[in-house]
Amino acid sequence: MDNISSEIRENILRISYHSGHGHIPTCFSIVEMLRAVYETMQHDPKQPDWAERDIFILSKGHAALGLYCTLAQYGYFPISDVFGLGSFEARFGCHADRFKVPGVELSTGSLGHGIGVGVGMALGFKLSGVSRKVFVLIGDGESNEGTVWEAIMVAVNLGLGNLTILFDNNRSQSRCMPITNPEDKFFSFGCKTLTVDGHDLSAVKEAIDSPVEKGPRVIISNTVKGNGCPTLVRDIFAWHRRSPNTDELKTLLGELHETSI
Amino acid sequence: MRRQFKDTALRLAEHDDRLTLLFGDISVFLFNEFSELHPDRLLNVGICENTLISMAAGMSATGFHPIVHTIAPFITERSYEQVKLDLCYNHFGCTIVTCGGSFDYAWDGATHHCYTDLELMRMLPGMEVMQPGSKKEFDTLFSQCYNNGNPSYVRIAADEHGLDLPVEFGKGVLVKETEGADLTVVTAGPLLGNVLSACSNLPVNIIYFHTIKPLDRDLLERFAKTRIIVVHDAFGLFEAVNAACSVRSVYHGLPDQFCGYYGTLEDIRSKLRLDTEGIRAVILNELDEIS
Repeated sequence: MDNISSEIRENILRISYHSGHGHIPTCFSIVEMLRAVYETMQHDPKQPDWAERDIFILSKGHAALGLYCTLAQYGYFPISDVFGLGSFEARFGCHADRFKVPGVELSTGSLGHGIGVGVGMALGFKLSGVSRKVFVLIGDGESNEGTVWEAIMVAVNLGLGNLTILFDNNRSQSRCMPITNPEDKFFSFGCKTLTVDGHDLSAVKEAIDSPVEKGPRVIISNTVKGNGCPTLVRDIFAWHRRSPNTDELKTLLGELHETSI
Repeated sequence: MRRQFKDTALRLAEHDDRLTLLFGDISVFLFNEFSELHPDRLLNVGICENTLISMAAGMSATGFHPIVHTIAPFITERSYEQVKLDLCYNHFGCTIVTCGGSFDYAWDGATHHCYTDLELMRMLPGMEVMQPGSKKEFDTLFSQCYNNGNPSYVRIAADEHGLDLPVEFGKGVLVKETEGADLTVVTAGPLLGNVLSACSNLPVNIIYFHTIKPLDRDLLERFAKTRIIVVHDAFGLFEAVNAACSVRSVYHGLPDQFCGYYGTLEDIRSKLRLDTEGIRAVILNELDEIS
């Protein structure tokens, strides 16, 4: 893990500790995917509403803290702004509000909405004849929702080559309904599919940059919930929505620094 | 009224290349001319109401004026969360145009009856709700709202009230005013036809709404000192009236049970005492009570 990924995870831990909020393991599984998107797509942190920007939607909205820390890393706002996470008048809630947070394109929280909205955006860009792209990050647990597959069918039927789905394959549903063989599933629906190590920043970026003849494209990113901290990885369900106390923060930061370059 | 939807959309699309129709596999044949003239602006997306709404939100985000069209229960009841979150919470403009409200598909049974749509939509913050009772009302209301950036709900009816009334979004119509009347009848949509016939020669006021949200409170307040009875073949209007003013109001409409009948719209209205005779009997009873 390089310094930037480590710093984003450290901010996630510290903000969760201070605020008592945040879903740490699911944030940790998507850090490199978020970085890959923000290091490849067209965007300008100084002009979040830039008319030619590409769009990123975090459909698994409970990972909002991971998105906030990534947006801060790429210059949308200072990380210090996020420390009031979840407090009464905070701009930064446990699920993101697009009217409050620069860079957030869709207020999400309920699972299974992001692809459908992304389909509409991608179609809008296609009909307008512009080259803007849409990226939607979904979870494997989220893919228990039927709307994921309904929207994928529509995206395939419309041939939306400007739509990329990043599938966070962090095995979060191992205790109920896992999405087994996700690449086969999305491929059988007609998507272009690629499978990568979701913690390999270069690999995710390469997948995002790969040409698409006919979309949508789905990047199956094999990830680990809590990646970077063995304590989290060992007990992902206990840590699903839990903030560390002082001793635990010390332990988690120590583990994180051990896994960093 | 569905033909009016086609004519209105054709007229507006001539001057607005952002108007885009997203259909849930209904009315496609009716809109053949539209498809031929504007092939990229009518998408028969499929039988996927949730995605229709989510897509509309996305298209709105990219500058289009999406119009979602399908059957009332399936888009309002199944896709309620998509309407609530993708359209209302995210505030993306979209006009939902439905058919099959109340008992317009009487013969199809309870799966196709839809009397909750107006109330469900009314409860969502920022949503505009309309129940036109004539082609003219549909044409005017749709044209005034489809590109205003707000989420809107417009229910197309199978029948009409048969009157030529003034139409302005958000404004109610005082159809009948009787000097000194102690009873005011409030209704909406095509049922006005039955209400008006039922109240013939009776000393009542009649207020009609084609716009249920925002409700014309000023008009209603003028009659706040009278007893108010809401006569409606759906939920939504009674609740809107009660939310608007603290007056004594009663409801003549639907019972707390599914409608197990088929037949025609008229059959079911008759069963619910929402035909002219049934409404007249209820109104006469109200007049007796307050006299």
